[in-house]
Amino acid sequence: MDVLNEILGGVFALGSMAAMIGASILGVFIGALPGLNPVMAIALLLPLTYSMEPLVALGMVAGIYNGSMYGGAIPAILLRIPGTPAAIATTFDGFPMAQRGEAARALKIACWSSALGGTASAIALMTIGPVLARATLAFGPAEYFWIAMFGMASIGVLVGRDAVKGLMAAVLGLLMGTVGLDQLSGTPRFTFDQVWLLSGLDLIVILVGLYALPPVIALAEAADLKGLSAAALRLEPAKVSWREVRGLIPTWVRSSLIGIGVGILPGAGGNIAAFLSYNAAKSASKEPESFGKGNPAGVAAAECGNNADNAASMIPALTLGIPGNVVAALVLGALLIHGLQPGPQLFHKNPGLVGGFMLQMLLTSLLILAVGGAAATRVFAQVQRLPGVLLVPTVLVLMAVGVYVINGRVIDLWIMFVAGLAGYVLEKVEVPLAPIVLGLILGPMAEQSVRRALLISRGDVTELVTRPISMTIASATLLLILWPILQVWLRARRARAHEPDMS
Amino acid sequence: MERRQDIVLGAVFAAMGLFAAVKAAAYSGATGAYPMALSLVLVAFGLLVAVKAALRGRSVPRPLTENTGRALLTVGLSVGYLALVPLLGFYTASALVVLAIPLSLGFRQPLFLVVVTAVFVAIVWAVFSLVLEKPLPAEFWQDY
Repeated sequence: MDVLNEILGGVFALGSMAAMIGASILGVFIGALPGLNPVMAIALLLPLTYSMEPLVALGMVAGIYNGSMYGGAIPAILLRIPGTPAAIATTFDGFPMAQRGEAARALKIACWSSALGGTASAIALMTIGPVLARATLAFGPAEYFWIAMFGMASIGVLVGRDAVKGLMAAVLGLLMGTVGLDQLSGTPRFTFDQVWLLSGLDLIVILVGLYALPPVIALAEAADLKGLSAAALRLEPAKVSWREVRGLIPTWVRSSLIGIGVGILPGAGGNIAAFLSYNAAKSASKEPESFGKGNPAGVAAAECGNNADNAASMIPALTLGIPGNVVAALVLGALLIHGLQPGPQLFHKNPGLVGGFMLQMLLTSLLILAVGGAAATRVFAQVQRLPGVLLVPTVLVLMAVGVYVINGRVIDLWIMFVAGLAGYVLEKVEVPLAPIVLGLILGPMAEQSVRRALLISRGDVTELVTRPISMTIASATLLLILWPILQVWLRARRARAHEPDMS
Repeated sequence: MERRQDIVLGAVFAAMGLFAAVKAAAYSGATGAYPMALSLVLVAFGLLVAVKAALRGRSVPRPLTENTGRALLTVGLSVGYLALVPLLGFYTASALVVLAIPLSLGFRQPLFLVVVTAVFVAIVWAVFSLVLEKPLPAEFWQDY
């Protein structure tokens, strides 16, 4: 009962409510602006949250996340430009509807679908999260080590196109996590006699650089000088009948389940959830040929699916410390800022905070209905009249101020910039950035866990894999790493089997 | 996959791993063992990427920029901005960069740009200096 009071008191406090509402509005704006994305926005926001109450900071993250996922649908429907990668599937039927003069109807369906998907996902988080957290109480240092390795391997293998590059990025992140004073022995590592490196590489400085600078350079390269005309953004009023709503219910249920399933899997993102939901809706439809030509169920499936991924991606992040996607990794960053270690102990040590955040994910999903209504959408659509070139320096200044206020050091600006340039190049050569971030977050936990486990076992390495749980997770990790090789081998075997007998 | 890029990429990662391994060798006991293990794994992955590219990679160029001129211009102006922050002060340097980047990218509405710059810098000042009271690099004219 005390925990419930703590949760309700924290979430419904003025600061938390204002953060959720303000961030939801800001999130829709960010999602509506092609070139900006929730990851960049949250990365820019994190430095500001140092001095805030944890629930105020997390409320802002939740608002931006859920708001921007809906915001991405606005340009996707009006202009066939997905505001976020997760809104690509929304363009398939949203834009044809807009061409028929049904843009407002498509936006209304997108708004309801986003809210429903987000709500279902938050309910999944609130029910599955605590159960999973309880199950992880049996974990010791060896299990924590393997959990960290499993998370890194899954993100490394699943995120990018090339599993080897993903794993290489994860190892780089782990290595970056060793910079600074060794927490167990106090020995400085990779500090090159620089005092500012003793505390290690600042996670937020690296995050802001990696995730905010590449889109800034991309915006500059595109050099949009005009923005869009008001005529292109005009919306006619529209109504959605109760019969139509009833017809969409199976799509919403199916897409919510798909989105939640995808969200729990580390490495898969909102765009995959949207595509899978869209394909499932098309397969289940009596008129599959109408998809891609302006079928409202296509918009509903894509938007419900990509929002159902949101809170679900927090399930492995909050319970195991393994983020399901980059935003979840940023949430872990936000928790670390406030001295809270993500992972199984978080639920037991800070139930009020975790419960509060889960409730905030639910409330901000529902807030989409209020801030994403027809009148509000008309206002949000206007942000696309802003010339893209103006966003380049403004985001750059926000990056600089955000990073500077963390430690009050000019050197951090340069670290951020170098990280950003590296991120830009690495993305171009198809090295995913998420494993680097995850390595940086999970690295210290992985090192401490493995060293503690070895201390307990007096240096016996076999202890890392002899307990049933650690053996299971270690086997799963090994299988995951070997999976790309197995795939190649299986493909070659299958090809050989289909070859005609030349003899 | 672009063969030459991936060979260079793999070589760079392997070199970083090798450098880290040499540094880690100087740390005693478990303090050095963990980064040493990671460094060697990084070397292995780097070599794997390079060898894979050499054996199977295609020679189709993968563009590193969409528009090299604009990308370099933005990077150059950003470097100038970061260098000016401690010299001119945060708000002066920021106002200059907000004016300079759009102008150099071809934006030709000076009045609109000046208004946007003034409003934006005022908002940043209100949030960071007035409300949050965060200390930022002092303006150069405050010394006089």
